[in-house]
Amino acid sequence: MTLRQLLRKVFLIDFLEGFAITGPYTFKKVYTEQYPKVPAKVPPRFHGAPRLNVDPETGKTLCIACDLCAQACPIGLIEVQRERNAETKRWELKGYTYNAARCMFCNLCAEACPTNALELSQTFEYAVYDMKELYWDKAALEKGPTVVRFTK
Amino acid sequence: MVELFMQYLLWPLVKIIVVVLFLVLMVMAMTYAERKVVAHIQVRLGPMRVGWHGILQPVADTVKLLFKEDIIPIKADLPVFILAPILVAIPAFLVFAVIPFGPAPFYIADINVGILFVLAISSFGILAILLGGWAANSKYPFMGGLRSCAQMISYELPMGLAVVSVLLVAQNLSLVSIVEWQQKSGWWLFALQPVAFVIYFICGVAETNRCPFDLPEAESELVGGFHTEYSGLRFAFFFMAEYINMVAISALTVVLFLGGWLRPFPNVAWLSFLDYVPPVVWFLLKTFFFLYLYLWIRGTFPRYRFDQLMAVGWKWFLPITLANCIVTAGVLLFFYYR
Repeated sequence: MTLRQLLRKVFLIDFLEGFAITGPYTFKKVYTEQYPKVPAKVPPRFHGAPRLNVDPETGKTLCIACDLCAQACPIGLIEVQRERNAETKRWELKGYTYNAARCMFCNLCAEACPTNALELSQTFEYAVYDMKELYWDKAALEKGPTVVRFTK
Repeated sequence: MVELFMQYLLWPLVKIIVVVLFLVLMVMAMTYAERKVVAHIQVRLGPMRVGWHGILQPVADTVKLLFKEDIIPIKADLPVFILAPILVAIPAFLVFAVIPFGPAPFYIADINVGILFVLAISSFGILAILLGGWAANSKYPFMGGLRSCAQMISYELPMGLAVVSVLLVAQNLSLVSIVEWQQKSGWWLFALQPVAFVIYFICGVAETNRCPFDLPEAESELVGGFHTEYSGLRFAFFFMAEYINMVAISALTVVLFLGGWLRPFPNVAWLSFLDYVPPVVWFLLKTFFFLYLYLWIRGTFPRYRFDQLMAVGWKWFLPITLANCIVTAGVLLFFYYR
């Protein structure tokens, strides 16, 4: 032990340094979130529950039934049911299922979508008691999950 | 007759009830404050759910402890097992019989050997802890009891010697007279005895089994220490005794070194506006500062290893306090009593 170390010990310098570190921490901003009581804030790029967007003016779906999302999905949980219109030669959307139970929120489907119809929203509170309820059809995807808040 | 009754029975009884209620309230406040302060040091929130910012948490804890099942191990030494929590709580309360919260009516008793009484009673608490560790007839409590005993005995010595140097200066054993001496001389004793002051408080932390000297109840090593096998109300007694001892050590530090109920600079005339604050409030403010320091220490320092603990006690504090005593006595002898 050098003389310097000894003097530091005897005059409790190390102790005071320790106090100087923890003291200000007492008044720092707290990191803890009061989650179920206060809704959690998610970062802007958060990927949550999928949503099929509709045209805000007409209320019709933006989906053009191109099937790109289903092909992009690594898990293959998207199913697009479509039919070619004989007159216009365009694909028409007949049904859309999204197995939200198996989704890993990679966002590849939303990136593949040419019309921004499919989007992963910020909602993440959609736990249900039956897994079958997580097979979302077109109507459910357009509506979005209903968030049930805990109350006493 | 009525006067005697008032003086020796009714009046002390009222004081005792007030002090006991104050202590129980302090225990509850301290458990809450400890969780909150340590939480905020660690940038957490601490209890938040029971009442406003968890203010009713101590009440909830008390209710929980009251209704918990009282488990007594089959192989426990039953009479000792039952006796230990009682014996640990009694001396904790008893110390406050001589602690002056303020001038004349604000203490229960002013006995002429006050500080010796305090030291004797607090050593009695160690015995109860050892009994508690022994009675459960289980390994971890026994280890905890042994550690506790070794630690408290080795820290009692420098603590006593630190007190001796105070007594040498103040020339009195009564706690009230020590404070009055500080008033007369105009010096708080920590200014005259800084070494004794620091060592007294550190030994006090060790004496109450608090962090960083909490080896007897080190959760990570000994499960819970001497009170591992206790549950419910009996555990609550150990818990309460520990917190009351913390209050006692803080109060004693204030009385011995920080001028008890005196305002800062008791003899400086232009500070006399500070006298509008009642003496008891000054006393409590200083005590609360030391209680906060306890929590601050807990949030700051890691636990000592057992050999380090013993080394600090025997190789540092004991020689330093001894030297301090001798130097104090020498200075008094050669410069003061010539």
